[in-house]
Amino acid sequence: MTALLEVRDLRVTIGSTAAVRGTSITVNKGETHCLVGESGCGKSISALSVMGLLPRGSKRETTTLRFAGEEIGSFGEKQMERLRGDRMAMIFQEPMTSLNPAYTVGSQMTEVLRRHRGTPRAQAVDRAAELLARVGITAPGLRLGQYPHQLSGGLRQRVMIAMALMCDPELLIADEPTTALDVTVQAQILRLLATLQKELGLGILLITHDLGVVARIADRVSVMYAGEVVESAPTAALFAAPEHPYTRGLLTCVPVPGKVRRDEPLGSIPGVVPRVSPGFTGCGFRDRCSQAHAACSGTIPRQTVSDGHELLCTLAPGWVAREAA
Amino acid sequence: MSDAAAIEVRGLRREFRVRQGMFAPPKHVIAVDDVSFAVPAGSVLGVVGESGCGKSTLARLILGLLEPTAGDVLVDGQRLSGMDRRARARLIQPVFQDPFASLNPKRRIRDIVSMPLIAQGSFGRAEIERRVDEALDRVGLSRDQGTRFPAQLSGGQRQRVAIARALVLRPRIVVCDEPTSALDVSVQAQILNLLAELRRDLGLTYLFISHNLAVVEHIASEVAVMYLGRIVERTESEALFATPRHPYTRALLASVLTPEPGLGVPDVGLGDIMPDPANIPPGCRFHPRCPVALPRCSTEAPPLVDDAVGLVECHLVDVEAAPAHA
Repeated sequence: MTALLEVRDLRVTIGSTAAVRGTSITVNKGETHCLVGESGCGKSISALSVMGLLPRGSKRETTTLRFAGEEIGSFGEKQMERLRGDRMAMIFQEPMTSLNPAYTVGSQMTEVLRRHRGTPRAQAVDRAAELLARVGITAPGLRLGQYPHQLSGGLRQRVMIAMALMCDPELLIADEPTTALDVTVQAQILRLLATLQKELGLGILLITHDLGVVARIADRVSVMYAGEVVESAPTAALFAAPEHPYTRGLLTCVPVPGKVRRDEPLGSIPGVVPRVSPGFTGCGFRDRCSQAHAACSGTIPRQTVSDGHELLCTLAPGWVAREAA
Repeated sequence: MSDAAAIEVRGLRREFRVRQGMFAPPKHVIAVDDVSFAVPAGSVLGVVGESGCGKSTLARLILGLLEPTAGDVLVDGQRLSGMDRRARARLIQPVFQDPFASLNPKRRIRDIVSMPLIAQGSFGRAEIERRVDEALDRVGLSRDQGTRFPAQLSGGQRQRVAIARALVLRPRIVVCDEPTSALDVSVQAQILNLLAELRRDLGLTYLFISHNLAVVEHIASEVAVMYLGRIVERTESEALFATPRHPYTRALLASVLTPEPGLGVPDVGLGDIMPDPANIPPGCRFHPRCPVALPRCSTEAPPLVDDAVGLVECHLVDVEAAPAHA
């Protein structure tokens, strides 16, 4: 497989907070890579730094930021603007805040194509209608003339997806695209993303806090905690044999019908996600970890558990199995 | 119904007038339509459904924050309408979704938690202090955290404050409206465990509203499924998850994404028509989205089947033999 997006050792500081601390992510062509973690762990900031959309006053450092074989880490705003919405597109959690309430769906959708490609209006409208139909919207002609507030949440998110596809992007970054939706609509939108990916060969970087979504849609998962990827593996391997205590803790917190009896408590992780300052060393999870020991304040080794399964932890891979034996 | 019911609603209905524009006549939206049920003391009724199904309106009617258009709400055997506000507050208390929006940012935690006691007007200062300490203790907040402001606490701690405030009058019933939806999973688990422990220790009754079926399955003893203002199925929790009878319940269950890789995203089969409370379809209100609708579903309202398994409103359940109780 060819790497579509390759990020090596990404570091982002925002004010006095180290939001991302040495994260590496690779998204291959036609692959869905999920970044999972709780709020404040740095997953959205990682995605925004790839797009060059970091908030003012933040500092980004990286050894490699390569997109489709080209180093884009040194790109200026003008060059990034040409990429964004064209070869790399992004969809956000709340479609209402990313759609302009004052313009119709049609004019917002066609603007993307007219701006990036200079496509004539009539042709752009045809393309917009075709894509609305493609994302499962009936009567696309009617929808093109409507304003965002006239659409339901699920329809708005479909419009966002269609808009992201206007220029045939190679990479789609989706930040919690279904979190604000009803479960029934969430299933429909995720199915749509999976189908589109297969047909268009898109690379998707999907950010979510929902392990259910991850299990069902990801090819590869990276679990983030306090600005670092603490564990990364092919989806089946991660769910079958999670190694990092944080990954293991997260999995026991999720209520699954029929798994935990009603009168028994769910697993939980005591404490809260810490805010980490730039000088911080050691494992960010150690204050909440039941396995923590002295070495956890030192340098944490990045270890290989099996092919493609990486662990950032002082515990030796296979500790879970050995402890169970 | 039995005397042991902590909450009982009979034929509850609530309409809203919605303006359609400057010249169009206002429209009546029926948010809750002829809902009846009883929740036995010490149990948990989970209410699930999509946005706009009326579950939050139901919560506000039961809390007395909205007047019903028709029907009655009985709390602990007493009619809610006409009950003194202070007496009502001693019986039933809310916990809402967003703890940040429901806590006054300019008051210290202790003052927020003591507010219900002060509003009663009958508690001495020493008693108020004692009860606040007890409530903070109960929810796992320290004395020191009591002196802080909401902005200085995490989301989970703020939800603990909201729970402490709900408990300080020692109510019998707590209405939880999406209490964990704004929280991270690890914090959600902490709050769910706390709510379960409080129910056991204090003998509380919960009305627990959530869009997350897995959460409801974990905490509720009985589940009511709402669709466009009506309860379309109500069954004991294990039976509902094992053998859902209404096609809508089945679709809701199918859309729960459990963390099991390899299963893919299921096709819930609902199509892309969204329910609109301002335009309730004739016949069975679910028929435009129902994958197994019969011709008569679009004209005839389905009968209410109330049998040993539970309660369900669907034409198909009428024809199918009732499934064996799991």
